[in-house]
Amino acid sequence: MVDRKDKGEGIREEFIAEAQELIEGLSRDLLVLDHAQQQNAVDPETVNNLFRGVHTLKGLAGMFGFSKLGQLAHRIEDLLEDLRLGRVVLNQSVLDILFEGVDTFQRLLAEAKNPEEIAEVDIEHFERSIKALAVNQKSSSDIIAEYEIDPGVIAVLTEYETHRLRTNLSQGITVYRLHLRLSLDVIDTVLKQLKERGRKVAEIITYLPSMSVGPDEMIDIDVLLASNSPESELIKVLDQSESVLSVIQRRTPHVPPPAPTVTIPEKRDAQPVGAAIEKSDEPSGDGFAIADRAGDPLSLRSVMNTVRVDIRKLDHLMNAVGELGIVRGALGRALEKMRDVPGLNTLTGELRRIHRSFERCLIDVQDDVFDVRMVPLGHFFNKLGRIVRQVARENVKEVRMVVSGSETEVDKLIAEELADPLMHIVRNAIDHGIESPSERESRGKPIAGTLAINAYQKGNHVVVEVQDDGRGIDPKRIKQAAIDKEILSKEQLDEMSTSELLDVIFLPGLSTAESVSDISGRGIGMDVVKTNLARLGGMIELHSEVGVGTKFTITLPITLAIISALVVEVAGRTFAIPLSTIQEAIKLDPRAIRTMEGREILTLRGTTLPICRLADRFGFSRETKRSRQFVVVVVHGARRLGFVVDKLRGQQDIVIKSLAPSLQGTRGIAGATDLGDQRLVLVLDAPTLLDEFAATSRTNLLQESLS
Amino acid sequence: MTHYSSRFSLVPVGTGSFSPSRTPASASEIKDFLAFALGEEHYALPLSSIREIMKLPYITEVPLAPANVIGIISVRGRVTTLIDMRRLLSMSELQPTSKSRVLLVSKGDEVIGLLVDRVLQVYRLTDNEIETASTMGGEQAAYVTGIGRPALARKGEVIPENGQQNARFREQLAQTVDDSIGVEILILLDPDTLLQM
Ligand SMILES: Nc1ncnc2c1ncn2[C@@H]1O[C@H](COP(=O)(O)OP(=O)(O)O)[C@@H](O)[C@H]1O
Ligand SMILES: [Mg+2]
Repeated sequence: MVDRKDKGEGIREEFIAEAQELIEGLSRDLLVLDHAQQQNAVDPETVNNLFRGVHTLKGLAGMFGFSKLGQLAHRIEDLLEDLRLGRVVLNQSVLDILFEGVDTFQRLLAEAKNPEEIAEVDIEHFERSIKALAVNQKSSSDIIAEYEIDPGVIAVLTEYETHRLRTNLSQGITVYRLHLRLSLDVIDTVLKQLKERGRKVAEIITYLPSMSVGPDEMIDIDVLLASNSPESELIKVLDQSESVLSVIQRRTPHVPPPAPTVTIPEKRDAQPVGAAIEKSDEPSGDGFAIADRAGDPLSLRSVMNTVRVDIRKLDHLMNAVGELGIVRGALGRALEKMRDVPGLNTLTGELRRIHRSFERCLIDVQDDVFDVRMVPLGHFFNKLGRIVRQVARENVKEVRMVVSGSETEVDKLIAEELADPLMHIVRNAIDHGIESPSERESRGKPIAGTLAINAYQKGNHVVVEVQDDGRGIDPKRIKQAAIDKEILSKEQLDEMSTSELLDVIFLPGLSTAESVSDISGRGIGMDVVKTNLARLGGMIELHSEVGVGTKFTITLPITLAIISALVVEVAGRTFAIPLSTIQEAIKLDPRAIRTMEGREILTLRGTTLPICRLADRFGFSRETKRSRQFVVVVVHGARRLGFVVDKLRGQQDIVIKSLAPSLQGTRGIAGATDLGDQRLVLVLDAPTLLDEFAATSRTNLLQESLS
Repeated sequence: MTHYSSRFSLVPVGTGSFSPSRTPASASEIKDFLAFALGEEHYALPLSSIREIMKLPYITEVPLAPANVIGIISVRGRVTTLIDMRRLLSMSELQPTSKSRVLLVSKGDEVIGLLVDRVLQVYRLTDNEIETASTMGGEQAAYVTGIGRPALARKGEVIPENGQQNARFREQLAQTVDDSIGVEILILLDPDTLLQM
């Protein structure tokens, strides 16, 4: 990864500088934590900060091959993770280990600076003390069990949420349940308002919406929140129509937990939707209903209806739905054959009806699966926030990140593909855009630079804007860099307008950075951005003003029509054929071609395969006889056809973009795709081509027989 | 917040590159024209109808497309239909040259590219310089709105900052104008009728 021979010294320096900064940050955070622990007022963010710092340090050490430091960071990271999730309670002995760890980081770094200063580090010693901690703390009983919270609720909390719940309870902070009943069409806005207002008076631990929607289009939501404010104050801030706020009570020591039946809290005025819920005779506290874990699954519904799903399971589901599509096709073909069998009429008719309703269900399922895959961009912006903090620290810059539109949803796949481009754009904004605090001050700008990220939906598209108020992109510098790096000639550059010059930053290799690190200075960032976005069927626009700032605007489709396709060449042109329609591809043996009633045919494993030369079909002048050609066998219904192509370029996942309205009537073309080089490639609509081929050959035959 | 200069404010947040919407203007109001050449003939479209001027990108042929269509191009990721003005006006075809340009105009919700031989310059015509089609004798195609006769061979006509086009467009224009050609007659075209074909 790193060319140590070439620039080993520079790299080492760079590592030392970055690691030094991180370690200093760690020791600052640790002091804050120590102080907070003594005051019994630990801010979970401090632990999170430490965790991230150590995590970054570990990555850095790994990247530059400082394995001892990396191993130690790994141990400390584990400890911090346990701390963060409440598996280990913060006390002085934990702090001791952390302080010792940071100390050791320092010594290891000194060794890195000067290899003669060998640091004695006993990693196993750390491992032992960390293990001892865990054992010592195991015995403490779980405070959550002492409160009236439904086990079904606890079961779905994330580890972090459980930890926050536990911490709040053990600090004597009151935990409330807020029950809401919201109509589907206002739910987003109400929850958003609630979050904003609630944050000032309480810590919101979790939201637990019920999944099913009642016949009245209402949805139940339980919010767990912790607050020291008086109840009256909370009610004032959080009140919604049909909301019920109740305190989570401590169980009375001598009374055993309520019997495992389902109860409906009495204050609740709206009746639950599930029908099988009975009212319990037993008096219930103001807490969550206690449900029998092993009982009737329906009975749990009144309290808990959200499921968290591993995204991989959704991928499987998506694939399974795809397979179902293939089954549907096969069924259709079988039906086609049955039609010609005498004496099966009634049966065929019945099967056809079943097939049709199967088709309808399948479409519904497809829609639903797509819907479930939508994720809000918020999660992802949080991650960006971490990168911003890290890069700002590396660069010794002050950056304020302002995010809006976190609730905007996109397909999970798009969110994933957006990660790299956004990371590069954000990184660039800090690396190249935002000036150092002193420079900003001298220019009369606020010391902290602003990085604004804004997302919103626009029709079928999602727009993400990233804007910085840094120094902007200077076309003159870009021009010079392009000449220096021999990316374009001076003549080419002289011809360009300012905005064309700005677009040069998207070319691979272009960079105005003076120093090179793994991520910055190689000029690959913007190239990655452009290529990834093009693959997604998205686009990017750039506006920049020297001295004022830069703004990138990304536009992406909300869902993707991603398909696998075979990329082929015909008479020098490139086409993509959806894999779902392809049975196989074989080499064309010209000697095996026969003609039958004027059509060219091949015999493939004993059956007749009509072939269609795509070059002729599309009216391309055929090149001088090619030595090697291929036949792509496509299937549609009961029909098969071999497309003759010149070259197979391989399989690729593509995003189909539809043609503009003026060309939508073009038969045989399903759309276009960008294979990543700004050149559009047509996607063939194989079923239509196949049908047309069959139709024209029939009319040909007809005409021939008439003449 | 930051104060962005005019280059920014011309591209309002929340609207894409194709943001400026054409305000329908009556014939007498349209005074600014973009002149372009097809062979020896000089044509002009109302400046307000043009969104962008592009150098020739990679063109993907679309087999079996309508005759006027050369193919499709990617305009910042958007699949855009490209029409050959020569084919549209029934002129002989010509291989594109380095002077060839694509004018992006809108047709309903769609943005369409028009391929022209070269872009000349902007003409701001007074009423006296325009002979409207209704007063012209003889038969003209429906898409010809009139004939422009610039009184003097003008150079470097002002590029209006009327906000109809964004900064990108004005820059593209500044880059492309070629006022070395003296124009006597400009055939003024109506984009809507033209694109009906
Ligand atoms: N937000 C920005 N502000 C100023 N300049 C930028 C910004 N984003 C990108 N650039 C310019 O674009 C160039 C290319 O960026 P990139 O491809 O990421 O390469 P690198 O970051 O390795 O230099 C940078 O060197 C810089 O000149
Ligand atoms: Mg970069």
